[in-house]
Amino acid sequence: MLLSKEERRMIGGELGPGIQRAMKLLVELGESFDAERLVPVSYAHIAYDFCPEEFWNLMTEGVHPTRHRVTTHPSYSPEIWAEWGLPLADRWIGEHERKLKKFKELGWLRTETCAEYLLGIFPRKGDVVPMGGSCMQVANNSLFGAKVDRMGILISLAAAVCGRTPLMGLLLPENRDASYLFDVSELDMADWTTSHYHCLGYYIGDQVPGFKPVAVNGIRPNLPFDLARALVISMPTSGAVTLAHIVGTTPEAPTLESALGNKKPDHVIKVGKTEMKKTWERLNVWDNDIVEHVAFGCPHATIDEIGRIAVLLDGKKIMTSMLIGASASVEALARRQGWADIIEKAGGHFLPTCPSIGNPFTRADISGDRRAKSAATNSARSAHYLASVSGAKVFFGTEEDCVNAAVKGKWGGRIPKW
Amino acid sequence: MVIKAHPVSKGKAEGEAVVYEGPFAFLGDLNPVTGKISLPRHKLEGMSLAGKVFVFTTGKGSSGCDMAAWAAKKNGNAPAAIICLQSEPVLSGAVITTGIPTVDNPEKNIFDFIQTGDYVKVDGTAGLIEIVKK
Repeated sequence: MLLSKEERRMIGGELGPGIQRAMKLLVELGESFDAERLVPVSYAHIAYDFCPEEFWNLMTEGVHPTRHRVTTHPSYSPEIWAEWGLPLADRWIGEHERKLKKFKELGWLRTETCAEYLLGIFPRKGDVVPMGGSCMQVANNSLFGAKVDRMGILISLAAAVCGRTPLMGLLLPENRDASYLFDVSELDMADWTTSHYHCLGYYIGDQVPGFKPVAVNGIRPNLPFDLARALVISMPTSGAVTLAHIVGTTPEAPTLESALGNKKPDHVIKVGKTEMKKTWERLNVWDNDIVEHVAFGCPHATIDEIGRIAVLLDGKKIMTSMLIGASASVEALARRQGWADIIEKAGGHFLPTCPSIGNPFTRADISGDRRAKSAATNSARSAHYLASVSGAKVFFGTEEDCVNAAVKGKWGGRIPKW
Repeated sequence: MVIKAHPVSKGKAEGEAVVYEGPFAFLGDLNPVTGKISLPRHKLEGMSLAGKVFVFTTGKGSSGCDMAAWAAKKNGNAPAAIICLQSEPVLSGAVITTGIPTVDNPEKNIFDFIQTGDYVKVDGTAGLIEIVKK
């Protein structure tokens, strides 16, 4: 790989051991994909709480505040977990505090969300943004036209400390044309909620081997942002799709031809009612109807989503625990609207955590014997990870199904009539 | 028999093969505490990958896969080596950061030559697969 003079100094150790180790990883990764060189980042996004401390220390040793902006993924809140009486909360405090101290020293931004675009931090078309978090990778690529390759959380830290990323994959314009075309024109989407779009995206992600870009055709133009986000966000959960062109909605797909790069697609897949029904069923992994927990905010909740939940919960009390994953900024706005208070009065909680992988109520290594063994969610992503990472029985349904389940402690959601 | 492949992550390792003709995610498919496949309804649910040479098609899933691979490795529950048809950046990043010898793009259709239980040696530096039939 061709390295600049500055990059040779970095890999030679002149800028400290952390940057040297990080550069070695970036070069090894780049070379395995025949990348010609590294490119500077527009900004970078990491996940300090998901990063093992040993690896965090190896990468950040001797690193000084960076000139480029670095933001972060959802975080842990072990002190709040302890206030809630979760038995194993204390064991997380030390590591969290040590990594956060270094994070602050580096001058990085505590955005602590997987939906940074809701804070006004979003890439322009063509910006190079290495990041951890497959949900924001696919959103930033698809909805904003940024150049974001698939990348793991550990490698994203290496890219952040170096301010470089290998020129490969979805950074290259020729790799951004869709080779898989999904025709969804048979589906009647008039009454679809975000959950329906999640379900469709989860099906699509599962159909594509590897991380080839896809085009989705047959959806009304200018699909509202929340629905477009719901469609793309579960694709890298069931599969590895990291760029989805929604024809008529996303910036690189004003027309079908532009989404396909004026080529014929390699595969055309029609999606109908049967596929949707089977996927919805597959996301439901439960044997009895007892619901112990409800998780919202995967990806982090928008202000409109919180508003809808508040309306449904107004004046009610819930029987389950409820976590809404949201950034501190969106939560603050929800508080000004009076919605956060309604939800908390009903028994719900807000945290800037990942309600799927970092959910303190379902993770046995945080909640111990108080672990919720079943959980309802309106997100296909969340359903997948609550079942597979936390081993919970999972109910997948609409926002309304989930709120009703929280109030009754029982699942009454039905599979939609497609 | 020896099959040439493309190097992804350096190092040599060997062990009994586990073959799965589908994609794999370290996060969600594998429980790093038990070393077993944990995704409900997965074809290999309950099977251990610890110390095995895991053969599959490609990577998938969240960017947390490298963190899960790291945890599995620290617990002694990671595969000893990986052979896949075509890697992708999250999988490659996971095996490079955790030091699991890995090759992809084997010159022959690997599923015709390796079966679960075969003893397999992987050289991730030179890009070589050696199959010792059981």
